[in-house]
Amino acid sequence: MIIQFKKATKRFGGLAALDNVSFEVKKGEFVFITGPSGAGKTTILKMILGELVPDSGEVIVDGTDVRTIDSKELPYFRQKIGTVFQDFKVLHERTVGENVEVALAVIGLSQNDWEERVKHVLKLVGLSKQINLFPSQLSGGELQRVSLARALVVNPKILLADEPTGNLDWDTSDAIMKLFEKINEEGKTVVMATHNVEILKKYKKRVIHIEGGKISKA
Amino acid sequence: MSSIHLKTALDYIRRSPFQALAAIFVLSLTFFVATLVFVLAYSSSQLISYFETRPQVIAFLKDDATEDEVAALQHRLEGDTRIKEVKYVSKEEALSIYKKATSDNPLLGELVSPSIFPASLEFSVNDLNFAQSIIDEVKTEKNVDSVGFTAALGGESSLKDVVGRLRTITMYVRVGGLIFTGILALASFVVLLITISMRIATRREEVEILNLIGATQGFIRSPIIIEAFIYAVLGVVLGWIIAFTAILYLAPSAVLYFGEIPVLPRDTLSLFALFGVILGVELVSGFVLALSGSLFAISRVRRSR
Repeated sequence: MIIQFKKATKRFGGLAALDNVSFEVKKGEFVFITGPSGAGKTTILKMILGELVPDSGEVIVDGTDVRTIDSKELPYFRQKIGTVFQDFKVLHERTVGENVEVALAVIGLSQNDWEERVKHVLKLVGLSKQINLFPSQLSGGELQRVSLARALVVNPKILLADEPTGNLDWDTSDAIMKLFEKINEEGKTVVMATHNVEILKKYKKRVIHIEGGKISKA
Repeated sequence: MSSIHLKTALDYIRRSPFQALAAIFVLSLTFFVATLVFVLAYSSSQLISYFETRPQVIAFLKDDATEDEVAALQHRLEGDTRIKEVKYVSKEEALSIYKKATSDNPLLGELVSPSIFPASLEFSVNDLNFAQSIIDEVKTEKNVDSVGFTAALGGESSLKDVVGRLRTITMYVRVGGLIFTGILALASFVVLLITISMRIATRREEVEILNLIGATQGFIRSPIIIEAFIYAVLGVVLGWIIAFTAILYLAPSAVLYFGEIPVLPRDTLSLFALFGVILGVELVSGFVLALSGSLFAISRVRRSR
């Protein structure tokens, strides 16, 4: 198991964002986390990323209990996880190529090895021609591909996606989903939070449904 | 990896050039003044050293003193640890000094003969606090006719007053210079702090993204610290160049005014060595200022989990 939630609970004030949640994700699995807004989907992703720690219970990611990670180890822990967000979170002052290069600089890869990896990953997401463009010159779908390329270029063990198609039309969403599926087929574990029913219908993957901080279907 | 940080830092500077200019201007002003204060401190210490090492006391010898007695007195003075550089000046040498001093009016020199000038023993004291007691002791020597002082500035009656006054002026120059430089350094620190804090505020989204993709704090901070270092280096070098140019421009007048007193090094190599040392010290100070300013600004941004 690459991800394990064992009776994990997280409260914000008096409100339980997650209440005694337990589930597991196998290595190489593609899992959808669904539920209405405020159900706790993003809290789960933030816990996997080590951004939040459970008040009680355990969250174990790739053999590491997130509660035991100190602030100095946290960046290295996160380097094993790729992230894609609804709002893309790209660096607006950098070109497509530079956005991807930043991730390689973060993991400390030698600059000599950047070019080949950047070209490979941009080809994979279909952005080879846009390498020197700035985010302001790209469409929503292209921005999401930049975000995906940045996540993939460091060869992460897990790919987290928080509503990656939330700001995209169906055709673009479908294209992005096909990319995620392709990446999953290559062996990457994908955990995607979404409430897009059409995507859930088309892509038959395991679904963890959460509502009011509790899992109703796993 | 460092090139990406340098590129990022240069990007920040390009994006807000007026903030950068403000920081560089204040730092330049600080190090311009600091360079002048350094040079003033050097010149004043040279000035004091010059006066302190001049023959300060002259013991005029009686005409009937024999060579042996004079030699014995000279030997005794040389053995005194409070006294340095004892020199015997014969009557002939005294006349020569007089003629040189009155060279603009040769007639004065022609009217005198060596016999009217007393031979003397000239010497300096290591510490002017001992001057009076030494003078009193030398006055009691049987071969000494009288004792006099060579320096007289501003009408002071004693050498101690002269050097004391010089020391006071020097102290005011140094303390005043240090306080002024300190105030400017504080202003530089604040401007640097504001510039870096504004940078951090505008970088908030970028920092959030970098945190999410696993950037270490060192990675996130590096461009900010490099930016501060760029300001410091430019500020130091600009301030130093302006001050150096101004001093080179004024040096001939200063040398002319102070005559043989070496308020500035006379040879080019020593002059460049002095300014090299000043530049080195200022670069280190600039780095400390940049590092402390940027780290202090960064420390204001706390992350919670």
